[in-house]
Amino acid sequence: MLTVQILIDGFAISALYGLGAVGFTLMFGVCGVLNLAHGATMVVAAVTAWVVAGQYAANPWVAAVAGTAAGVLTAFATYFLVVRPIERSSSVPAAEREIFVLTGTLLWGIMIQEAVAYFYTDNPKTVRPLIAGIMQIGGVRTPINELVIAVICWAVIGLLWLLVNRSKAGKVLLAASINPRALSILGFELSRVYLLVWTIYGVLAGIAGVLLATFLGASSAQSSQLTASAFSIVVLGGLGSVYGSLLAAYVVGYLETLTAYLISPTYRTVPALVLLVLVVYVRPHGLLGRR
Amino acid sequence: MAEPLHAPAPAAGAGVPLLDVQGLTKRFGGLVAAKDITFQIRAGEILGLIGPNGSGKSTVMQVIMGLHRPNAGAVRVVGVDVAGWPPHRIARQGVGIVFQHSRPLHRQTVLENIMLGLLPDKLLKLVADRHVREKARQIAERVGLGAVLNRKPGTLAFADLRRMELAKAIARDPQVVLVDEPFAGLTSTEVHAFAQLIADFRADGRAVLLVDHNVKSIASLADRVFAMYLGERIAEGTAEEVTRDPTVRRVYLGGGIDIASRPTRPARNAPLLQVTDVSVLYGKAQALERVSIHVDQGECVAVVGLNGAGKTTLFNAISGLVPYSGRISWDNSDLRGRSPAAIARGGVVQCPETRELFGEMSVRENLDLAGQHLTEAQAAAQLEWLYDLFPRLRDRERQAARTMSGGEQQMLAIARSLMMHPKLLILDEPTLGLAPVILEQISNALEQLRNTTSITVLLGEQNVTFALPHADRIYVMEHARIVWEGEPSAFAAEVAATYL
Amino acid sequence: MTDTIRALLTSRSVWIALVVLVVLSTLPWVVSAYILGVLTIAYYFGVFAMSWDLLFGFANEVNFGPSFLIGSGAYAAGLLNAHGVPMWVCLIAGGAAALLGGVVLAVPALRLTGPYFGLTTLVAVLLLQQFIIIFASSTGGEIGLTMNDILSTEAITNYWYALGFMTVCGAVLFALSRSPVGLILQASGQDRIGASALGFNVVKHKLAAFCISAVFSGLAGAMMVFYLGTASVGTVVDVSVGVQVIIAAVLGGRRTIVGAAIGSIFLILAGEALRPLGQLSTFVVSGVALLVILFFVDGLMGLLLRRREEP
Repeated sequence: MLTVQILIDGFAISALYGLGAVGFTLMFGVCGVLNLAHGATMVVAAVTAWVVAGQYAANPWVAAVAGTAAGVLTAFATYFLVVRPIERSSSVPAAEREIFVLTGTLLWGIMIQEAVAYFYTDNPKTVRPLIAGIMQIGGVRTPINELVIAVICWAVIGLLWLLVNRSKAGKVLLAASINPRALSILGFELSRVYLLVWTIYGVLAGIAGVLLATFLGASSAQSSQLTASAFSIVVLGGLGSVYGSLLAAYVVGYLETLTAYLISPTYRTVPALVLLVLVVYVRPHGLLGRR
Repeated sequence: MAEPLHAPAPAAGAGVPLLDVQGLTKRFGGLVAAKDITFQIRAGEILGLIGPNGSGKSTVMQVIMGLHRPNAGAVRVVGVDVAGWPPHRIARQGVGIVFQHSRPLHRQTVLENIMLGLLPDKLLKLVADRHVREKARQIAERVGLGAVLNRKPGTLAFADLRRMELAKAIARDPQVVLVDEPFAGLTSTEVHAFAQLIADFRADGRAVLLVDHNVKSIASLADRVFAMYLGERIAEGTAEEVTRDPTVRRVYLGGGIDIASRPTRPARNAPLLQVTDVSVLYGKAQALERVSIHVDQGECVAVVGLNGAGKTTLFNAISGLVPYSGRISWDNSDLRGRSPAAIARGGVVQCPETRELFGEMSVRENLDLAGQHLTEAQAAAQLEWLYDLFPRLRDRERQAARTMSGGEQQMLAIARSLMMHPKLLILDEPTLGLAPVILEQISNALEQLRNTTSITVLLGEQNVTFALPHADRIYVMEHARIVWEGEPSAFAAEVAATYL
Repeated sequence: MTDTIRALLTSRSVWIALVVLVVLSTLPWVVSAYILGVLTIAYYFGVFAMSWDLLFGFANEVNFGPSFLIGSGAYAAGLLNAHGVPMWVCLIAGGAAALLGGVVLAVPALRLTGPYFGLTTLVAVLLLQQFIIIFASSTGGEIGLTMNDILSTEAITNYWYALGFMTVCGAVLFALSRSPVGLILQASGQDRIGASALGFNVVKHKLAAFCISAVFSGLAGAMMVFYLGTASVGTVVDVSVGVQVIIAAVLGGRRTIVGAAIGSIFLILAGEALRPLGQLSTFVVSGVALLVILFFVDGLMGLLLRRREEP
């Protein structure tokens, strides 16, 4: 009974982690950007969904779409207001660009977090489940919503896979992660490629944020924790590796669920952190990372 | 504790060689970058290590410096085997290095940059010994930097930056000095001054290793020359002996210059590409100096010159990859301000020296990417045509690009550029590092290309024999400038003798 | 020696620092005890930021979790003191604990390149935070630990302690940065291969930089909790603490040491001044810092020293 419960809960939370992490790693793999405003982006999506559902009494699906759209807008804002100016700035030495982008997105994330808290307080916001109700799986009463989340996450990831591997645009993205300069001389404007990546990122982070709101709730205070989780998973799986992020998401998700159920919810995050430390010391490029 | 500035000079050639390289071999994965390299340099001797790109000369230098650990062989500095030591230990054992590209500390003055070379590797040095500053001053004056001691590198002229590199290299009074491309980017007056400085190192009794692309630039300085190609030794002797060596000539010139059977080309058409007075600066280095060329519709123009002459820089300027001054017009419109991607889409496609393939993607995927700007039908037709031109690619359609041989990768790179249906194809060093048999195949493909299409080609090559049969006109580049222009027939008569 | 003294006297940074110090020294007679308290915290932050600048500005290592070092020092001192160990021993122990932390951070750092190291430092902070929360019974968890001793009950005395501490630490760190060791560090950070080719063991020097940064951070962290009278996650370990340190150093001007201290004072005073805005104060401060990063890359010191800087 407990086993089944752990299996189900773990699956759902891992799927959610996976979605967030995939966006994060894609952003790094293709654009070379570690977006520290990731958690804040998810929170904006979550809170927007909450606002639309609450204040405009819309049905959860409409709220979800609105939330995702907010995620995309936040991603664009991050790109045009913070990342692109730094990358084009002539006063930042090339070697320090990465660090400036990191610090810039960090600050931007804090600004978003504080703005959300100012307008909507930092109480956790929840959104009604997309599909309400409970069902029995293997003798365990499970909210249907958990299954919905898992299905949506995997559907999105599946669509992404199709995009990257089967579409023309996807091939361009893949090529950009291998050799951006070559793409340029083959007639592809890199600025357009980056825009595409940020859009995809916004969608992924937005959906992840909305789903989080329906599942556990989201608050602006969680922004840095969400970013940190995505980090850890992505580093564990290997920066830039989408498969690695998915694998790591499940490792972390199940570790957390197991710990929460079998030991105590307070220690939930510990095993994953310890694993992360081990990985960083022993195999810094992660489970499936390129190096 | 005062140390003498000059090491006492033992009789040249006497005693243990200061640098003794025995059977040095270095592999990177499957690639053998250097194979069984053996040479010695005695005190008061200058050895020139030459070879084209990919010859392994840089690898040899990097192993001596300690950047790589050799797979086999020994490197003895004043009798001590330093192979596998970390670079800082080798430096203190007595090896100084002048890097090809200057690497100053930008926030420190010239004096401080040189002082760095004199400091001990101690953690707790809070105040420099008094003599360190004085000694740094002396070294600076020796290399001609006495007047700019308190300036920061950002304000220095290019030649002075190079002088600073020389100063840093000899600061610790090394027995062995490695110099990478000593004269790159210098004017002829500066070359003379630098040659004198390096000759002074020899007079000090040091062992000097000069690494460069070709014999010509170091002929007057080097006592002996060691030539490499594809990781192996191909000749050794005096500069004159090496220049005359048939294998060396074949490597650089591709063999005898034969211009016998050349098809006649149609009469001159309007210039398609017009490059006027273009100059490029890389930081302070003059990479291109007031270069003017033109390429007419349907022509094949070859720009020949040794590595480092400026061919790639010229091509990069045309493709919009580097900033330049001057004017480049294509099809009567100025290319300035257009992004590299826009220029490529406009019909000017470059196949770069480094090929820039998407290694993890397959042959087919690489080609498909290039064909994305065409319609499905056009792309399919183009693909078929390219497979006919390069049958090997059809066989290896699904293979990952990076697992292919050098020749196959080159074919893929050319095919990929052609996939874009270019009006002007810029080919940068297509024959670099390839075996003669592959050269022939590529040469045939180029011939076929010109016979069956109206494509215009701009070819950059070090290998003159490859370029000559295809070229309608030739430009010769040397030290960032065009030094000769004319027809292939005139080339053999006027230039060939002094080319190497 | 005369060269060194001449260099110091002609250094604009030194003069700016002296002027600022003189002004700060007059404050006890001019401002309220409350402001003195704010400044006291600012001075400890100044040491945090200066230590960070030594590591980043000189050795070119970005520590995204300086609060790992600060927190280690603070909690080591706090825990010992809670068991009755005298204050000065606790301070030394704090420095030592942070030193150990610095070594622990350095080991992966020196093998990692690019973003990996930054991530490692962030992870270290999270781990420390979790550790403290989990062992709440001994550490006081999120509520915090009450110290047995404090530096002083007088605001003015505490002010002098803090100002003096910052001045001493600042002088040492600044001297280091301008010394041959500092030069070697800069070389190691800017150009690893070039520095090796000149005969320097880059790894050794970077490790030393970590240790120095760690000791000063830990010591300052310990001093601060003895000032505050409590040690809590929110004041010395939280990621936000680290972020403030980084912002302060960048705002003040990277690679100047003096700038980091000035940046901290400015940042904390600005936070105070914006307190009436309530929740928006963090927003505004972050916004200003972001603008600085975008437009005034060289920070406050960059603005002050601009005329001398070459392109």
